[in-house]
Amino acid sequence: MENRRDNLLEALKAIRRSIWVFHLNTGSCNACDIEILDVLTPYFDVERFGIKLVASPRHADLVLMTGPVTRKTLPKVVNALKAVPRPRLVLAIGACAVGGGIWHDSYSVSGGVEGLKKVLEENGVEIDKLVYVPGCPARPEAIIYGVAVLLGIAKPKVKEEVVEVK
Amino acid sequence: MSLLKPFKLIGIAHRSGVVTVRYPFQPPLVTPEFRGRIRIDASKCIGCGACVNACPSNALTLVDDGERRVLNYFIGRCIYCGRCADVCPVGAITISREFELATDNIGDLNSRVIHYKATCSCCGEETTATERMISYVVSRVPVTETYVHMGSRCRKRRFIEGLMMGRGMVYGESER
Repeated sequence: MENRRDNLLEALKAIRRSIWVFHLNTGSCNACDIEILDVLTPYFDVERFGIKLVASPRHADLVLMTGPVTRKTLPKVVNALKAVPRPRLVLAIGACAVGGGIWHDSYSVSGGVEGLKKVLEENGVEIDKLVYVPGCPARPEAIIYGVAVLLGIAKPKVKEEVVEVK
Repeated sequence: MSLLKPFKLIGIAHRSGVVTVRYPFQPPLVTPEFRGRIRIDASKCIGCGACVNACPSNALTLVDDGERRVLNYFIGRCIYCGRCADVCPVGAITISREFELATDNIGDLNSRVIHYKATCSCCGEETTATERMISYVVSRVPVTETYVHMGSRCRKRRFIEGLMMGRGMVYGESER
């Protein structure tokens, strides 16, 4: 466990410069994709943080994944993630990518990242760090915050809450 | 003309000004109508499950686990429609304006309210209702007070006994 964490920290240290992102739509309704585009426009202008959109997963440090990973896109998603160089960082954006969203029990989806992880394990593709960004769609600010959490700049605000009623 | 073009562009850019928001250094623009994650007030929640029925994406789930009844809210699946807040009979659910919910641990996205089921006043077995549900029902319809504290089995037995008494049978005969 300790070794694994060290590996992770080493992997994150590898990213010292601008992170380049690849936008991967896995069958989403395009709402999250529009929010991602909003992040890249001059209004939010993430290029001031050095975040830049690239056209190929082979150039990318971070994959912005949206959508519930439908059956049709599953092999393509696995191939795209295989092409990303290590450290392989993934940002699961939107309710669909995080937990399957409104289609979590549908026959034609693999339930977002949680279902995808099993398929990736079978194919020997390892994800070095995965950050969940819930939202339907996730706001542009939430996506920027998610990147900050992924890089360790910001700490996650949400905590598991358990309340017992006597 | 082509040499002057950059200067022309500077003029245009100066006139339109800076549009970029300084997001991490200034608070985000959140309108009063914005719906973020919901907050369940455990001091008010009665564990009836009306929100679970209304939830389109099953982000709210109600699981009966022995004597416990767990209301689980998984933010990762929530679509922030606010239907749960509309249907909640006691107003325990409020829609907050929090949206910076990114985390690297999916367990952080769960929040639970654990209820304990009431026991039957007749046989002592656990009923399908929580103590707060019973007091809520009694406050709305006081006539239910005579039978609402019983479990479904005892309630059925009492009904059958009542019928039998009406037909002239001896009390307690139904237990045979």
